[in-house]
Amino acid sequence: MRAAEILARDGPNVLSPPKETPEIIKFLKQMIGGFSSLLWAGAVLCFIAYLIEFSKDKSASLDNLYLGGVLIVVVILTGMFAYYQEAKSTNIIASFTKMIPRNALVIRNGEKYEIPAEHLVLGDIVEIKGGDQIPADIRILTSQGCKVDNSSLTGESEPQFRSCEVTHENPLESKNIGFYSTTCLEGTATGMVINTGDRTVIGRIASLASSVGHEKTPIAIEIEHFVHIVAGVAVSIGIVFFIIAICMKYRVLDAVIFLIGIILANVPEGLVAAVTVSLSLTAKRMAKKNCLVKNLEAVETLGSTSIICSDKTGTLTQNRMTVAHLWFDNEIYQADTSENQKDQIFDQSSATWTSLSKIVMLCNRAEFKSGQESVPIMKKIVMGDASEAALLKFSEVVMGDVIERRKKNRKVVEIPFNSVNKFQLSIHETDDPNDKRFLLVMKGAPERILEKCSTIMINGQEQPLDESSVKAFQDAYMELGGLGERVLGFCHLYLPEDEFPDNYSFDVESMNFPTSDLCFVGLISLIDPPRSTVPDAVIKCRSAGIKVIMVTGDHPITAKAIARSVGIISANSETVEDIAKRLKIPVEKVNKREAKAAVVSGMELKEMSPEQLDELLANHTEIVFARTSPQQKLVIVEGCQRQNAIVAVTGDGVNDSPALKKADIGIAMGCAGSDAAKIAADMVLLDDNFSSIVTGIEEGRLIFDNLKKIIAFTLTKNIAELIPFLIFIIAGVPLPIGTIAILFIDLGTDIIPSIALAYEKAESDIMNRKPRHKKKDRLVNHQLALYSYLQIGILQSVGGFFAYFTVYTVQGFKPDLLLYLRPLWENDSLNDLEDSYGQEWTKYQRQYLEWTGYTAYFVAVMVQQIADVIIRKTRINSVFQQGLFRNKYIWVGIASQIIIAVILSSGFGSIPVLNFTTLRIQYWFVAVPYAIVIWLYDEFRKLLVRHYPGSWWDKTMYY
Amino acid sequence: MAALQEKKTCSQRMEEFRHYCWNPDTGQLLGRTLSKWVWISLYYVAFYVVMSGLFALAIYTLMCTIDPYTPDYQDQLKSPGVTLRPDVYGERGLEIFYNVSDKTSWKDLTQTLHTFLSGYTPAAQEENINCSFEQYFIQKEFRAPNHTKFSCKFTADMLQNCSGLTDPNFGFEEGKPCFIIKMNRIVNFLPSNNNTAPRVDCTFLEENHKDFTPLEVDYYPSNGTFSLHYFPYYGKKAQPHYSNPLVAAKFLNIPKNKEVIIVCKIIAENVSFDNPHDPYEGKVEFKLKIQK
Repeated sequence: MRAAEILARDGPNVLSPPKETPEIIKFLKQMIGGFSSLLWAGAVLCFIAYLIEFSKDKSASLDNLYLGGVLIVVVILTGMFAYYQEAKSTNIIASFTKMIPRNALVIRNGEKYEIPAEHLVLGDIVEIKGGDQIPADIRILTSQGCKVDNSSLTGESEPQFRSCEVTHENPLESKNIGFYSTTCLEGTATGMVINTGDRTVIGRIASLASSVGHEKTPIAIEIEHFVHIVAGVAVSIGIVFFIIAICMKYRVLDAVIFLIGIILANVPEGLVAAVTVSLSLTAKRMAKKNCLVKNLEAVETLGSTSIICSDKTGTLTQNRMTVAHLWFDNEIYQADTSENQKDQIFDQSSATWTSLSKIVMLCNRAEFKSGQESVPIMKKIVMGDASEAALLKFSEVVMGDVIERRKKNRKVVEIPFNSVNKFQLSIHETDDPNDKRFLLVMKGAPERILEKCSTIMINGQEQPLDESSVKAFQDAYMELGGLGERVLGFCHLYLPEDEFPDNYSFDVESMNFPTSDLCFVGLISLIDPPRSTVPDAVIKCRSAGIKVIMVTGDHPITAKAIARSVGIISANSETVEDIAKRLKIPVEKVNKREAKAAVVSGMELKEMSPEQLDELLANHTEIVFARTSPQQKLVIVEGCQRQNAIVAVTGDGVNDSPALKKADIGIAMGCAGSDAAKIAADMVLLDDNFSSIVTGIEEGRLIFDNLKKIIAFTLTKNIAELIPFLIFIIAGVPLPIGTIAILFIDLGTDIIPSIALAYEKAESDIMNRKPRHKKKDRLVNHQLALYSYLQIGILQSVGGFFAYFTVYTVQGFKPDLLLYLRPLWENDSLNDLEDSYGQEWTKYQRQYLEWTGYTAYFVAVMVQQIADVIIRKTRINSVFQQGLFRNKYIWVGIASQIIIAVILSSGFGSIPVLNFTTLRIQYWFVAVPYAIVIWLYDEFRKLLVRHYPGSWWDKTMYY
Repeated sequence: MAALQEKKTCSQRMEEFRHYCWNPDTGQLLGRTLSKWVWISLYYVAFYVVMSGLFALAIYTLMCTIDPYTPDYQDQLKSPGVTLRPDVYGERGLEIFYNVSDKTSWKDLTQTLHTFLSGYTPAAQEENINCSFEQYFIQKEFRAPNHTKFSCKFTADMLQNCSGLTDPNFGFEEGKPCFIIKMNRIVNFLPSNNNTAPRVDCTFLEENHKDFTPLEVDYYPSNGTFSLHYFPYYGKKAQPHYSNPLVAAKFLNIPKNKEVIIVCKIIAENVSFDNPHDPYEGKVEFKLKIQK
């Protein structure tokens, strides 16, 4: 009862999600953002034009009213479409962040209940056991060997004991507090809930993180930039021609109508839809490749990444300890560290190995969880700490059924590992029925083990431990330690049968058995090995000009070793320390410029001023940050951003969330990541694998290229839509294309081809060029704009005008007559206008001819847009290198262009307001030569760009 | 995702813009050096020259392929339009309003007719031949001077009482005005397939004027026909002096001080007057109001 009251008072025990923008605001943003405002202006102008006309004449034509209405419908439809797309992709992630409901075991009124964790309230007593996630901040009341993993909170990866004593004033340091969302690794405990929901430590950090504001994404900036360019062009041309029209003594009303036409021609109405669709297509494609993108724009940001700050554990490495090396018989053997460890090639014939393997197998408390018989060894879940699990799996692979052998060598007594002894010991019966001796096996820190030994086993023979063997041990230990591996020593002793008979009772408290003068057998070193796909991915990054920085909490030596093995520090580069060692000079005397690589520890980083950090980041290409705290990640990210880099950061812990937010693109780990990290991130890696980031980068670059292609395709025909108005105003010809026909190009024939360009495969150089410079390499650069507007666009207009003149000429109006014919042509009271043949036309007959002209111009633009979509498939490669038929969607797009045009010009378009007429077959082919010219010209352009890189042509014509 | 947008002050932006317009360090003007500007302009000039050439070539070829005498297609000009003189357009089409007693109100109307008929004086029609055969004037060859075809004379006097010769006021003064009806020219157009000449028929628009007596009209030339020898028209190049035949209609019983709607249709086999979109195809409709 009381619980319900508190629940009502405090609210459920969940983290409140970050504040969402209300849906209606999102929707309205789509309605007024970007080009929509221009279209609104167009619609308003339409209504004004209608009102002016209406005030003069009650029976004014409704055309302007219709057009205004159509514009508003267009704005609302495209806005709704963009909103729908965004909502859909938001849902992908929303469904993901929603976690499986967690239950908590709570004691209320002396009875145990299992209730959903969000119903926990202050003062509840909960029970936790190994494997559970702690359901709220709790104060431990009782504990049996309870260990928790606080890494998501504090970054410490070592499991920590929890007991009921207060060990520190700071609750974060105190041993008697268990934190919400951390995991209990082993043992059991009961605790009292002291904080729930947002008031938990995690909750406070999470709300702190969400207050670091999200800012504009690069693609959003690029699109804004592009909208500015287009809007600038539209408005300035519109105003210039408005003034020209007024000067040419056109009526104000006409000038306003021209203005509408110019705005309409300039605004690529369908582009927003095409861009959103292609972004969400890519997002879907990336999800398939294990990158889950939270907001669409992040896809592109990933492509412009120039620095990746990657975690080590789990991202670059497999996140499990694995036996890497063995040392026995004075020799170092390498073990297979690949994901399945199939090929163990070291020498297993030595008698020393037989002894060593026995110790490894017996002196180990780890066990496989039951019920996993069919699971491959490497995937079996192990109860026990990471090192022991590694040794268990290793012996299972090499020797077969460990559990069975352990049963044969019954354990008599054991001393578990603790930090004071630094060793682990157990005494076993032997499996040899004739041998009644007990076997004492021990493993631990190598130096501690060696202290306890007086002999060493070489080739199965015990030999006294002389100076040379100690030296050999020291060398091996140093070498393995230098590889960043965790080294363990192993020794054993057969207890003499006469002193320790069958029934001897061993006592761990009094230690009534020898723990010195043992026989040293060997060393085994463990490491968390790199994922096998990572080295290739790092090479790919390097060729793509992306710097990979490792940021880890591990020891510098381990970090450096892993960095070397995955190629973050390449084989031939040295750190300052390496150079000092090689030249045998003090570190201070080394010229820092000579060292390509650097390993910086968290302590050093703490001492650095921002300027020093900048210098470090600028001068070294290969950097490893070791022993860093998650907070320092933020410092590193900021440092990278000062270098004008676009920074991708991986993270899994709660403490990573500020860095994830600060980074241009935050990447959370899907498996190991905490909820807070996933909330703060822009992208979630489902398989935690570094190489997925690289795949993501490739996709991101591809979408940037494809967006360029889409925009170039869309912008081109804007000129072909605009020029008619300009010629109409200046040369006074009958209007070549109407506003409705323009809308049908923008929102009809061009939509599917432009989306199809999003499916275009990458051109060959995609991962061999430098990352995009966010200030210099714009989505829409002047090359793209000039080439589209002033070359292909003009060519298209010429083709369109040719079609237009053809239609008028064959019907009787030759081009010379058309010039400055407008005042007569549009005169409603002139019903006998003479053409070039002396025939006389009524107003409606001329009007109908004008519509035929619109249709012909429309078809001509459509035909040339087919050529345009083909040339836009590539920017540098020949279309034939790219494969004309590799992207099937392009052909779907071309088919859609033709079908829509056929439908419109074969009767369906002759509905009153649409003003399309039926077109003779031959008019369809008038623009074909121009389409071919466009194709040839662009192939020629690409040929020169490919053959003369860096030339004037390349700089001017490559967009 | 984070900060890429630094807030710039207005003066910074202005400074950047100035720097863009003229960069003293690199000598760049609007982002390009002068020589670069020259190069790119030259390229564009060359590009546009080639393109204009292509366009000119295309238009030239187009012009070569078309027939100078007959348009390739006449599908959009199937039935001729009809026009009225005098033509005063109000808000909704032709509106001829005048006051019999106020000369200034119809002076302009008669003036329009005089101007229009000035193309039909014997002098203006000198180049044309006299015809009276009332048959289609089919000419396969170019027999007329300068490789042209003959056109038949149509002179104003054929309009008799409405010619403006006998009555320079075209009957406007006495409330029985003349209107001249013209059929639009279409190359090679034959009004009918047999030998019936097209005829003008003017009536009050029925639905509005049921209670009226039918409109009494005097047509000139008699019967209100366009003689067949004016057809077919062979186009401007073949018949440079061709003038459209006319029909004048003199309305005898227009009620005074009342707005009436009159429709004049052309009755001929190949002339349609029921196109819902085009009010001037095969017919002409106008409002007439004579005040006293």
